[in-house]
Amino acid sequence: MQRYETIFIIDPDLGEEGRAPVVERLVQLIPQRNGVLVEEDHWGARKLAYPIRKKQRGYYLRLDYCGDGALVGELERFCRIDDRLLKYMTVKLADDVNVDEVQAEMAERAAAKAAAEAGPTAEAGPTEEAGATEEAGATAEAGATAETGATAETESTEEAGSTSEEDESGASAGDKDGDADEASPEDTEDDVDEDDQEDKE
Amino acid sequence: MPAPRTRSGSARPRRRKKVFHRRKVCRFCADSSIVIDYKEPKTLRHFITERGKIIPRRISGTCARHQRTLTQAIKRARTIALLPFVGSLE
Repeated sequence: MQRYETIFIIDPDLGEEGRAPVVERLVQLIPQRNGVLVEEDHWGARKLAYPIRKKQRGYYLRLDYCGDGALVGELERFCRIDDRLLKYMTVKLADDVNVDEVQAEMAERAAAKAAAEAGPTAEAGPTEEAGATEEAGATAEAGATAETGATAETESTEEAGSTSEEDESGASAGDKDGDADEASPEDTEDDVDEDDQEDKE
Repeated sequence: MPAPRTRSGSARPRRRKKVFHRRKVCRFCADSSIVIDYKEPKTLRHFITERGKIIPRRISGTCARHQRTLTQAIKRARTIALLPFVGSLE
């Protein structure tokens, strides 16, 4: 069993109630295919670096799960069919994951979170967040800061996303991987030559 | 930021001296607390031009190993619209 992480970009114009069934469907697919959901991480609506289906914003959802290739295939098939998902990307985090270990880690994290919440009850807010970052660091999770940073952003941007009106403009299926890098060879080669000359002189 | 292309010979000697003296260090080797992660567009932003191109390590000074992970992270971030494929001029 492998561990994967998939980022989904959901249509931000759906609103809270329109989005819930999509998220639920995605989450439910995982146990159906003998997978284990490790983490469900809502980044909230944020600005896209480039428009996707003429939309400038997107609601980001990250799912961290264990499963096999068939599960990933099923999730991605659903994404391609469903109009409400703008784009997705799956990254393999680890090969040959021991499910028990992952579940132990999940329990540990949940316990730590509960402890952090129970501890400083008098002073909520900032102290709690500080606790969360520490805990993430302790578990040696890569991208711990990203997660905490993202959650902070979520709070501010979420409202904007949910208030916007529903607007269905189902265009054609999303293009995964638009072609990237148009390197401009002349540009770089020029610099190389210069550097070489300088070294010789 | 990539160095601007030199226009004439007059600008050359000064630039050469500057380049020669300053030893560029890989940022990720110098500070191991920075993690290269495609989910963190803020850190990746430092390694692309305003047009969205990946800055070559010849200019940024990143070591080969980190440049490889960086490149992959930037390309992943582009795929999920955290970074632009083509940036605009501000």
